[in-house]
Amino acid sequence: MTPRTAPTGPGQALADALAAEYAAIWAYGVIGVRLTGAARTAARSAEAAHRSRRDALILQLNDSGAQVPADQAGYALPYPVTDKASALKLAVEIEERAAGHWRAALPHTTGADRNQALAALTDCAVRATRWRRTAGVTPITVPFPGRSA
Amino acid sequence: MLRAGALVALGGAAVPLTGCDLFDGKPKPPDPLEPLAAEAADLAGRYRAAIGAASTLADRLTPIADAHQAHADELRRVIGRPAPSGTPAAPSTVTATEPDGLLAELRKAEQPARENAAKACAAAPAERVALLGSIAAARATHLEALK
Repeated sequence: MTPRTAPTGPGQALADALAAEYAAIWAYGVIGVRLTGAARTAARSAEAAHRSRRDALILQLNDSGAQVPADQAGYALPYPVTDKASALKLAVEIEERAAGHWRAALPHTTGADRNQALAALTDCAVRATRWRRTAGVTPITVPFPGRSA
Repeated sequence: MLRAGALVALGGAAVPLTGCDLFDGKPKPPDPLEPLAAEAADLAGRYRAAIGAASTLADRLTPIADAHQAHADELRRVIGRPAPSGTPAAPSTVTATEPDGLLAELRKAEQPARENAAKACAAAPAERVALLGSIAAARATHLEALK
């Protein structure tokens, strides 16, 4: 995972958001196998939500004639994910990171695209909140979702 | 010749409360973010009142009260003018006295507030939209935290 820098234009902003969605989908594969019960179900549902965002972004970038970045075969994990605690930690971080990219895309959007970016930012922020609660992290909310601390 | 910055500074010092334009003397129209700033300050007050009514909720509600206050402060900074004078805000109150009722009241206040922030985000110029997006998303997470 690379540090986030401000996108230079609309195409770059959406391409960055797409890269974050690819990474989130991949990460949930690693996260899901370390969880059980309701948490595993929540991870599956989160993964499905990120797949929907990915598909919508690919269509959007195609329609605008922008370059659609390809997914990577795999990603380097920031730390080993070996148990429930590390899986939940990664889930919180992956949602925070995706929220950051959607927030960065907002100034490059108008109309329906902006509503979609805000919905994506909001969904990531709500999932991060739920994962913090599952992990027993407090507070479970942050004042400015998507903004770098 | 005076620089533009000096003119702005003079105008600000001479008429800090009315916000009159230096040259034509007309009051500036209110900033479109004024209602959202007032709403954030009101929400902060409601959470504080709820904590006052049921101290067992303090751990859960204090971070949200602080977030609303941070939103109000940040919106005020972006608006770049002090809150309009002459319209003192009604004191933020809660009517319930037990935790479940207080949480329900706060949910009822957050729901329209979340929609207001989303509308402001949709209508905002590019330089304001990221802040408004974060505020709308934060209010959605507050609803989650009140469940």
